[in-house]
Amino acid sequence: MSYLKLILKNPFRNKTRGLLAIVGIAIGIMVIVALGMVTGGLKASTTSTLKAGAAEISVVQTGSGNYGSGRIDESRVTDLLNISGVKETAGTLRATNTSTSGSSTADVSGSSTGTGTTDTSSGQGSFGGFSVTGMDPDKLSLAGIEDVDGALYSNESTNEVIIGKTTSTNLDKNVGDTINLFGKDFTITGIYETGNFMTDAGAFMSLSTLQNLTNNDNQVSSIAVKIDENANATEVSEAIETAYPNELSTTTAASMASRMNTALNTIDTANWAISLLAIIIGGVGVVNTMVMSVFERTREIGVLKAVGWKEKRILGMILGESVVLTLIAAVVGTVVAVIGVVALLSVYFSGTIEPSFALDIFIRAFVVAFVVGIIGGLYPAYRAARLSPTEALRYE
Amino acid sequence: MNNGVEGDKNMDTEENIIEIRNLKKSYDDGKIKALNGLDLEVKKGEFLSIMGPSGSGKSTLLNMIGALDVADEGKIKVAGIDLTKASKLNEFRSKEIGFVFQMHNLIPNLTVLENVEIPMYESDLSTDQMKERALKLLKSVNLEDKRDQIPTKLSGGERQRVAIARALVNHPSIILADEPTGALDSKTGDVILKLLRDLHEKENVTLVMVTHEPYVGKMADRIVNVLDGKIQN
Ligand SMILES: Nc1ncnc2c1ncn2[C@@H]1O[C@H](COP(=O)(O)OP(=O)(O)O)[C@@H](O)[C@H]1O
Ligand SMILES: [Mg+2]
Repeated sequence: MSYLKLILKNPFRNKTRGLLAIVGIAIGIMVIVALGMVTGGLKASTTSTLKAGAAEISVVQTGSGNYGSGRIDESRVTDLLNISGVKETAGTLRATNTSTSGSSTADVSGSSTGTGTTDTSSGQGSFGGFSVTGMDPDKLSLAGIEDVDGALYSNESTNEVIIGKTTSTNLDKNVGDTINLFGKDFTITGIYETGNFMTDAGAFMSLSTLQNLTNNDNQVSSIAVKIDENANATEVSEAIETAYPNELSTTTAASMASRMNTALNTIDTANWAISLLAIIIGGVGVVNTMVMSVFERTREIGVLKAVGWKEKRILGMILGESVVLTLIAAVVGTVVAVIGVVALLSVYFSGTIEPSFALDIFIRAFVVAFVVGIIGGLYPAYRAARLSPTEALRYE
Repeated sequence: MNNGVEGDKNMDTEENIIEIRNLKKSYDDGKIKALNGLDLEVKKGEFLSIMGPSGSGKSTLLNMIGALDVADEGKIKVAGIDLTKASKLNEFRSKEIGFVFQMHNLIPNLTVLENVEIPMYESDLSTDQMKERALKLLKSVNLEDKRDQIPTKLSGGERQRVAIARALVNHPSIILADEPTGALDSKTGDVILKLLRDLHEKENVTLVMVTHEPYVGKMADRIVNVLDGKIQN
């Protein structure tokens, strides 16, 4: 029998203890992998918000805040074109359709945020409804919508809508189907996909139709601004705010993204802190398990010494057993995390956030497990290796 | 035993596989003098039986010969190696010594065959060669058919036979047996004693055995008595 097989045989001599140790470490590994998959998924969806064709600046009513319910007079959409550096503008009205089945009351929440392009914060998804944006169909590229499977709605239409890929999947609706929004039946003319998880979980229709439906005539909730190629987004933003003090506030897509990144970096740091905690807790568990195991096998270790085993070989055996435990835990923790995250995201986020399967998440989990195995096994292994053979053999 | 063909003045030292002079070992800060100036010589190929009351230092003596522990004082040379100066004691034990203890000390989660293979991990043998050698030894103790059994399923005598196979597997020059029949009934003990004697003759290995069995005198080449950490004359 090979030395490796011998090492593999030992961790399960006491099945309960071996399993408990594995569960303890597996929980830590599971947390590491799960957090990695979720934050990785969030990161991927924020980077995709910075699209070439999309608007760089989002203009809202001053004081309404990012999540506010501000309103801007629609005339500003054309007014802003006069500001130097502004290439294109699009008025956007956003409302939340709370009843996706559409049979009962259609409540306009009034909550509207940024533009369709840069908004990553309102987090509606399928929680109690989804966000409907009213926008000129010619301007959809400013919202990051480049092409549509099917056809766009026309500007004059009052009963046409396009829906995001995620909405389509969630509601099981396709081109040609009818969808009830704000108490009115709409025909789905197309399905779009932008890669932004928020945008893809919404729907777009003609601005005037949404204005009528939600009693917001001549009003928009935000204006998407596309700037000239050689213009500077920050400078143009400042120019807009200077031109309309106390009326308009701006957010650039870049600053939005960087704010998002800061948030994600915080989560990353937390992820590492939790990993460290998992290492410490798991490590203590491994030390405990292996110390018990060595203690119980004192006589046996005396025999190994009597038959001529080197200290190094005894050390290697105990360390090996410890690493076997933690690596099994890594496999168990990873499998549970993958299944759990995929299930949870699809149930609670209906696929709006795609979990990340980046290799480094899994490498990190296994490196952590390996390190815990080595660190946790070191002390018991050293003790076993240094046992006095006569004392060990006298041990009852 | 006299096989010294080139017998001359050096004959004595060449023939003595164990040479012990004035060996001392104490425990508990000198309160317990387990060995108290012990002298002993054992010839190569000899079957020596050690007797003596409990606590007289017999096990301590065997542990010194097998380099499981180091003496406080005195001289001990085994198989040509000065154990007071040797550094790689594990290598010495692996190559020269085979231990048989009162308790079989088999590893409970390993099969009989795997237990016999244990001492060979420090050798250069491949796993196939290890297996082959272990099977050969199991045959010589008549346990081939139990090779895949777990030790707990064996009788006391069978376990001790496995331990004997394990002790012989590395071709040691000395077998050190510390009350190998102490935990067995007299009939089984008799079988184990005879097996050890036969293997000692067949493999031409020196056998040093601590035992209380009175009839061992008929088998051993020589019997010494230990009392208070010394050989009695
Ligand atoms: N590791 C040890 N620590 C303390 N005392 C020991 C140790 N080993 C042996 N002794 C003591 O040394 C004496 C001789 O022991 P031992 O050699 O085992 O005797 P025997 O084998 O003849 O019964 C006893 O008094 C025993 O208690
Ligand atoms: Mg004894």
